[in-house]
Amino acid sequence: MLSQTKRGQNKLPSSHFMNRILKYIGIVLLVIFFVIPIFRLFMLSFQTDQGFQLTHYVEMLQREETWNVLQNTLYVVGGATILSIIIGVGMAWLVAYSDIRMKNGMQILIIMPFIIPSYIVTLSWTQFFAPNAWFSSLLQSIAIETWDLYSLSGMVFVMGLSHYPLVYLLTVRMFRKVPRDLEMASRISGAGRLKTFFTVTAPIALPGIASGGLLAFLASLDNFGIPAFLGIPANINVLSTYIYEQVVGFGPSAFAKAATLSVLLGMLALIGTFIQWLLVRKSKSLETVNEDFQARFSLGKYRGVIEVCVWSLLVFTSVVPLLSMISTSFIKAYGLDFTWDNLTLDHYRFVLMESGKTQQAITNSIMLGFGTMLICLICGTAIAYFRVRKPTKWLKAIEVIIGLPYALPGIVLALAMIFAWMEPIPGWNPGIYGSMKILFIAYVTRFLILQIRGSITAIMQVDPSMEEAAHVSGASNMVKWKSILLPLIMPGVLSGSFLVLLQALTELTVSSLLWSAGSETIGLVIFNFEQAGYTTYSTAFSSLIVLLIAVGILLLYGIKNVGKVRRGKS
Amino acid sequence: MSTVINGLTKKFNHVEALHIDEITIETGEFVAILGPSGCGKTTLMRILAGFETPTSGTVYMESQCVSDANTVVPPEKRNMSLVFQSFALWPHKTVKEHAEFPLLHDRFMKKLDKDARIARVDEILEIVGLESMGHRYPNQLSGGQRQRVALARALVAKPKLMLMDEPLSSLDAELRVEMRKEIQQIHRLTKTTILYVTHDQSEALAMADRIVVMKDGKVEQIGTPKQIYAKPETEFVATFVGKANLVHGQWEEGQFIPKYADHSVRWSDEEVAERFKDKGIFPVRPEQLELVKEGTGILGVVTSVQYQGKEIHYTVDVQGETFFVHGNLFTVFGIGDEVIIQKNK
Repeated sequence: MLSQTKRGQNKLPSSHFMNRILKYIGIVLLVIFFVIPIFRLFMLSFQTDQGFQLTHYVEMLQREETWNVLQNTLYVVGGATILSIIIGVGMAWLVAYSDIRMKNGMQILIIMPFIIPSYIVTLSWTQFFAPNAWFSSLLQSIAIETWDLYSLSGMVFVMGLSHYPLVYLLTVRMFRKVPRDLEMASRISGAGRLKTFFTVTAPIALPGIASGGLLAFLASLDNFGIPAFLGIPANINVLSTYIYEQVVGFGPSAFAKAATLSVLLGMLALIGTFIQWLLVRKSKSLETVNEDFQARFSLGKYRGVIEVCVWSLLVFTSVVPLLSMISTSFIKAYGLDFTWDNLTLDHYRFVLMESGKTQQAITNSIMLGFGTMLICLICGTAIAYFRVRKPTKWLKAIEVIIGLPYALPGIVLALAMIFAWMEPIPGWNPGIYGSMKILFIAYVTRFLILQIRGSITAIMQVDPSMEEAAHVSGASNMVKWKSILLPLIMPGVLSGSFLVLLQALTELTVSSLLWSAGSETIGLVIFNFEQAGYTTYSTAFSSLIVLLIAVGILLLYGIKNVGKVRRGKS
Repeated sequence: MSTVINGLTKKFNHVEALHIDEITIETGEFVAILGPSGCGKTTLMRILAGFETPTSGTVYMESQCVSDANTVVPPEKRNMSLVFQSFALWPHKTVKEHAEFPLLHDRFMKKLDKDARIARVDEILEIVGLESMGHRYPNQLSGGQRQRVALARALVAKPKLMLMDEPLSSLDAELRVEMRKEIQQIHRLTKTTILYVTHDQSEALAMADRIVVMKDGKVEQIGTPKQIYAKPETEFVATFVGKANLVHGQWEEGQFIPKYADHSVRWSDEEVAERFKDKGIFPVRPEQLELVKEGTGILGVVTSVQYQGKEIHYTVDVQGETFFVHGNLFTVFGIGDEVIIQKNK
């Protein structure tokens, strides 16, 4: 008995000691990877030969070009956000409230433009509106000019369609959570349908709509693919492409200017994120309310007509452009008509077998994707576990810090990464910048928060008593994780990992600044093909990526369903 | 296994949630910890299970110190099991897998080979009456069946001590009464020491060998169900367990003269605790009183009448104080009636 006590007493302080060391190592890593890069970027924007001054800001704001870019940004981001809110809220209301049929199918089509990388969506739309495509021919035959997508309005259109799923996802849950009895109480008290909607439903759903709108705003601000594919060829710049062109075109001499613009863009994004966070907090009161999947509004005799309209719209916005892109990828030479004689698989052969560059990019992206996923899976789930089971102020702060690189626009993060890793200690260049390593670091810092959020959701659904039951039954920590926790959280954790993998595989924004010869990624190669005018290659490569994503989703769906079947039908 | 708790305290943010001088649980005993929510009974149980570290004091199990402020033997290294209020069944495991889990991982049981394991699982499922449900998942079971799975998992490795945390509170009323019998039977069959935490005094009275009544983190009284019910030692035990009226009055030469009563009224001492005598109180349960129309006693007015089938529950107002009285079905009173409260002989 005595030896037992003694051993225990010796053990406890040492485990405390280990915990403390682990905590400090964690904090140091966090500061190095998450805090310093952003801090350096911030400082650089003030740095001049005469010390820290506002010179760069004054200079930038006096240029007409800057104001032009800001105006474009405002126009594109604002327009896209409004478009996203209109379509997103409309679809959300139909799915949550009305008795429209085939809601699951609708949901899949709605989310599609969000899952497919925005530059591939853009490529699809450009193929759809290309002067020789069937749609444009159709328009021309009735004497309407084809719409030039390479314009501000084109960017608004594609961006709005790419980001409305964000509004939809947040709003549809909110609509479903509006308690039905509140609406019934309003009706019984004498208010009509419309009055009830505006006095009861809308105010309750407003935080959801607003935070969805803000997310669409942030996504538009962050987006690089759409303005890069549509704006750069037409010489129309928004903040993200402008920063990109400064860095790529003018090299280190433009770093300070780029940093200044980045701080402006970053501030805008952080303020937006903060407001969004406030709104989400405000809507927490409905968190415990269950989602109500019953239809509350009958479309009556108009249901058929509305269904036809909605499905046409969804197919037109989600499927048809992809089909145009895929059809372009089979055409022998860009510009030929889509007939049997003109079809070929040459572009696929080129992309998959002949071009060393694309093969390298596929290898790179797969390595980066799975590497990032694995690191995020382990670190993110561990952090999420402590965050859920032992929440302390420290862990909450850590979560906020890890979320920063994701909240910042990708181009800003990329620039911060350059400053931080070109010479981590002034005068010492370890060769991280200029190799795959910097992409790897950037991806992990950017996407770790996605895994943490996915894992937090998964772990919160497992009651602590599940773990305690394992312990009292004699299970060690190892056994508990292996046979209880992992099987229970795996489906949820894997959806988080899948999101990380998907984003990392198809990343373009960060890579566009951080790549170097030999470390090209899939997104970058598609971007380069497109910029060089090799549209058939870029469409072929993009079509392959879409296929890959579809296979991935089917696999994930399969894993989740296997889990459900194993637990028996409920 | 005897479990000894000594000088145990637990503070949360400087607020003392638990302060226990001494409790000893003997081998094979069925002890109930009874108290309202927030009385510290769950904290006590979590310390016994090894999930919480005490602020001070010790817990010994079989003369080994398992918990003090510096050392906590983790739950998996205690020869003990726990039945959770929420059952805590694993949704991805079948009934059989639940019962098998402790056999695979328990450190105190001799490792069994596969055949012996299967035999033991079958045996325990028969004891809890789930022999035909072995391949079902928790979501395919009813509430009572889930409870049995939780019991099987807690019993299968023959722990020296089984903790039960309000195991019946998530079942409906009828099932609760049925499960009481089964738990008693299991205790008789397995002779496991049981520590049973509950806020329901009828559960504690019906099943336990001894009851520990707790309030505000402290022990109020420890005793057999009969002692706790009939001979309460504190006001809290008298009112919480027996729903007793604390009648004020004067103790004179071993006899009690209730306040508000005629001076001729004398209640004879029924081993009322000294503490009550010092305070001039006679704890009297509702069924020890009766209402009459005429006679000597305490005069009051009926303020509510609740028909219960086999008896009638009255509340009677006596000059601003409320008395609870259970009356028979033969003499019925209505609200507003003037009545005399008498103590039955």
